Amino acid sequence: MADTTISQEDFLKFREFFYRKTGIHFDDSKRYFVDKRLIERIVATESVTFRSYFVMLRFETSGEELQALTNLMTVNETYFFREEYQFKCLVNTLLPEIITSKKEGQLLRIWSVPSSSGEEAYSIAIYLLEYWPGINHWDVEIISSDIDTKILAQARNGDYSARSVEKLPAYFLEKYFRRKGDAYQISDDLKQAVEFTKVNLMKPEDVRPYRGFDIIFCRNLLIYFDDLSRRTAADTFFDALNPGGFLCLGHSESMSRISSLYQTRKFADSVVYQKSKEAQ
Amino acid sequence: MPLIKQHISKSIEQDQRKRERDCTSLELQLSDPSSAARRWAARDLISCPEATGALVLQLQQEDDSSVREIILTTLTQLGDELAVASLVGYLRSEDVALRNEAIEAMKLLPDEVAPIMGKLLIDPDPDVRISAVNILESLRHRQVEEWLTKVIEEDPHVNVCATAVDLLGEVGTTSAQEALEKLKTRFPDEPYISFAADLALKRIRST
Ligand SMILES: C[S@@+](CC[C@H](N)C(=O)[O-])C[C@H]1O[C@@H](n2cnc3c(N)ncnc32)[C@H](O)[C@@H]1O
Repeated sequence: MADTTISQEDFLKFREFFYRKTGIHFDDSKRYFVDKRLIERIVATESVTFRSYFVMLRFETSGEELQALTNLMTVNETYFFREEYQFKCLVNTLLPEIITSKKEGQLLRIWSVPSSSGEEAYSIAIYLLEYWPGINHWDVEIISSDIDTKILAQARNGDYSARSVEKLPAYFLEKYFRRKGDAYQISDDLKQAVEFTKVNLMKPEDVRPYRGFDIIFCRNLLIYFDDLSRRTAADTFFDALNPGGFLCLGHSESMSRISSLYQTRKFADSVVYQKSKEAQ
Repeated sequence: MPLIKQHISKSIEQDQRKRERDCTSLELQLSDPSSAARRWAARDLISCPEATGALVLQLQQEDDSSVREIILTTLTQLGDELAVASLVGYLRSEDVALRNEAIEAMKLLPDEVAPIMGKLLIDPDPDVRISAVNILESLRHRQVEEWLTKVIEEDPHVNVCATAVDLLGEVGTTSAQEALEKLKTRFPDEPYISFAADLALKRIRST
């Protein structure tokens, strides 16, 4: 029988380790959430004790177990048209401003991170097609990333529950989805329009190739981070953005206490952060 | 459809690698003419624990504020003794921007800064003590109120006490009441102190 009790000391050790790997910080109130998932993995890997599991986790070279555990520890809650006001701001204000400094034929690039199961990236695609006349003149690339490999597979797959599409107007549901039993399957055209990739935002080697974006959405991730991880993410996005590019955060998230790299832009429908046009 | 999908893997391949990423090369790139290259070097040095010295050195001569922010983030993540000691050093800097950036970085380091906070708060230089109180403003640490109370009880400098009392108005609880009352008698000729202490007391009593 495995001794799957997790002591306070084990919890603290694990919390520090996981924080260093992912930026995610668990406060004491998450003890139950964490223990439950740890025990699940201890049992699944037949590790007998927390100690032996933790040794394996730290020294495995493949990173497979860390990935399996990470997939369990993330909170993937999301839905279509979440915080829609920001998509309005995107089509009414941000894109029109971005194209003033683009040359004919240049590509516009949007990064939606974290993607979770893809609703945000697909919502952006729908919004562009429906509400942005510029889509007829400009090519847009949408890339969406997450640390969780299981949820990425779901995003690529594009099957959604009734709850996830609840906020979508019926007309869009009809136009962009196919009913599949209880689920809604997103159209192949939309699937073709978004590239999903695995990225751990806290790993410099993961994020390094992500450059040249005009707009980054990073919503409902920073709430799981502590201030230092938030600042690391802010610093990363700075180099991923083009000069003059925009960073959009979730409604309860803010850059102001975290980083001084950005200029705050207040628009009618949203507050967004901008990398200066002069920045290199 | 003008939404197009490229494979990011292509750009990943192209990225392998314009510049060397070993620790020695990264340290050298801290003085690269391109500020983006300097930021990337500072970011990647997180995996080189020995790099604290090089980062500290570059920070002193770096005039691009975006590079300074990344260097400070990495120093904060390394969080080792040398990094913390150098942050403390910047609190003494004549360069106001650097001093403020160090304060911001130290706010992110509750566990590392806590053990030295007691010492910072009795530093002979009142400007360092004021900076220390400013760090407390958003240092998430359970001792914050205790430290602030001690400052208003003991610090001889009126500006240090004034900074602390303002903050106590925000974070103080009933346990700071006595010290706040006493503070008014410590500086009877400073109307601002009485005003701020009364304001803090009022806030504390109304919550
Ligand atoms: C609540 S979802 C947010 C989804 C979407 N952006 C939204 O606002 O609805 C949070 C996601 O962050 C991902 N995540 C957590 N830590 C991460 C990291 N270090 N790098 C990338 N993604 C991460 C989780 O896997 C999870 O899918």
